[in-house]
Amino acid sequence: MTETTTLPARVGAVDPASLEDDATPLVRLIGRALRASVRDDHVPDAFDLLSGTVAVRSHDTPQTATIRFDRGTAAVSSGVLGQPDATLVVDLHARFAPTEEPSGDAALASAALTVLQPPPPPWREAAAQFWETARVVKGIPDVLVVQAHGPDGPQHGRFGEGTTTYGIAGPADLLAGVFSGADDFLVALAAGLQVRGTLSQLSVMTAASWKVRFDV
Amino acid sequence: MSDTSTHRKAVRLEATNHEGSLLGKNVSPAKFEAGKDSGFAFADILFAIDLNNEIVLGDVFPDWRGNLFDIQMVPDMATMVEWKPGLDSVIGDYWLKDGTPVPICPRNLVRKLVARLADHGYGATVAVEIEATLFEEPVQEARARGYRDLTPLGGSTGATYHLARSNDWVAYMEAVVDRLDQVGITWEAWTDEAAPGQTELNLAPTDPVQLGDSWARTRQVMREVAHELGHTVSFMAKPTAGFGQGAHINISLRSDGVNRFYAEDGPSELMRHAVGGLLATMEGNTSIAFPQITSYRRLVDLTGPPTTVSWGVNNKTAAVRAITGHPTYSRLEYRLPGADVNPYLALAGVLAGVLAGIERRIEPPQEVTDMAWCLPESCGVRRIPDTMSKAGAALDADPLLREYLGDEFVDFWVASRRWEWMEFHTKGGDPFAELSAWESQRYFEFP
Repeated sequence: MTETTTLPARVGAVDPASLEDDATPLVRLIGRALRASVRDDHVPDAFDLLSGTVAVRSHDTPQTATIRFDRGTAAVSSGVLGQPDATLVVDLHARFAPTEEPSGDAALASAALTVLQPPPPPWREAAAQFWETARVVKGIPDVLVVQAHGPDGPQHGRFGEGTTTYGIAGPADLLAGVFSGADDFLVALAAGLQVRGTLSQLSVMTAASWKVRFDV
Repeated sequence: MSDTSTHRKAVRLEATNHEGSLLGKNVSPAKFEAGKDSGFAFADILFAIDLNNEIVLGDVFPDWRGNLFDIQMVPDMATMVEWKPGLDSVIGDYWLKDGTPVPICPRNLVRKLVARLADHGYGATVAVEIEATLFEEPVQEARARGYRDLTPLGGSTGATYHLARSNDWVAYMEAVVDRLDQVGITWEAWTDEAAPGQTELNLAPTDPVQLGDSWARTRQVMREVAHELGHTVSFMAKPTAGFGQGAHINISLRSDGVNRFYAEDGPSELMRHAVGGLLATMEGNTSIAFPQITSYRRLVDLTGPPTTVSWGVNNKTAAVRAITGHPTYSRLEYRLPGADVNPYLALAGVLAGVLAGIERRIEPPQEVTDMAWCLPESCGVRRIPDTMSKAGAALDADPLLREYLGDEFVDFWVASRRWEWMEFHTKGGDPFAELSAWESQRYFEFP
């Protein structure tokens, strides 16, 4: 089973998502979402009631995975074998947003989508957790300086202590998504997220973002 | 080889990047004369561009890398040849401005390990069997077809040693060896290989640096001849969903002109230790020997490539075949690398394993005398890592390869393979396809 180095579902709790060995990025991404959903009590008890097999397909790449829900646990594996109870076709760069009507068991599909889409925590909380997790990434700067643009105007945050800094600025929700792993860092950059640092720091920030998003 | 040629119009500077692509630039004779001692500037990014021209991210840069710093490529004048009328060609190594070698430069790694071997009084003699597949269509048509549904040159049936290949296939290979003769690359044999359109070309035994140079240049020759004749050649691990192709490396160690792998009654003690080191490092070395996603699609029992961390005397189903009992030809055949491997890194990996074995006097596991494919787990013979991520993890955790290849190289390589794995899975590759279009697009022409 693929081990996780990112946040557990709950401290002391049984991991709700077991991933196959040598898991693909999609399997890992699903695992992250399910754990976040349970950890944050996004949908209390919903996970415990889920039962059935759900196929998840990327809308623009061949990525596929199967989730086998069994009332409080989920086994995630790559590919789709056999006939699932429900199928979701989703945009993996839009937090599992469906791009077409789910097929199969509509209630199961709806519940599965719900647990796959936990809202990110507030950007400040996400940033603090991200920076703590990123400490293990070799070469990560000491300090993360954030400027978040929200409905109330710009907000600022500074995380960590030391001499080397990395600046990142953008919409609050997008920052929360990047810091929590719900959104892809490099895709967010292409969408207008702004950073200040060296190319080398961009490289290690990419590694840090993969750690929270894919657990690699 | 010489350091000058008549009627020179340009000099082509050449070296491989980490992927094994032969990179370089053409400079005027005056520019070459001005820079041949101090070197020529190349952006450090050449070691951080993937085969789709994306910047590889995910690792901390060493001090010598920055916001696209320059590094110096210094020509090795011993490699200067007249490539064709008017064009000279020279291979170089990458150096930092303080005069130290770039630690992740593949050719530098080979030179470093050759020197370490020399400290023990040994010189390595190595040879390679290059496999490649030829297609009738010109490369422009191959590109237009996404490198799919091409026609094997020489016929679509029969394989391995057949002399009945049609003349177009024979003409291609004859043109290749003519060009090799012209540029001073010594070849020993070429033949029909196991798949339609496939050939195997053997380069003669020599020292590791020269073999790396000849191997990289032979690929270039084979590409240029294909272009000239309106055909296509690929060194992809599996250019079609059918057969794959490898690059077996043969190695022996000599001192005072004597082959030290030879013993009258089987492997010498030195050979045994070399085998021990090669097997101890094999899982980690798989990451180097199988550099691309497609490389791992070759790992199928009973199809040719080794699938187990194994060795045996005269056993071609094992990963390391020991050829024993001959004072001259006793050697090890390291059967792991794919045709898509970086020649220098493949050689560095082998030298690292051999050095580890002889310096630590590593005894090999029991020889496999049965077929080394399909072995039950109860035999205690490990499987070769069968995915890029597993092999990368093995290299990351290998203390021997970290010592001999250096932490900087290992960290860099592991991160670059993680990037490759991520690109494949998230940008269009299909692990469940026999061979996905993403792979053909990325690997058919390069490296």
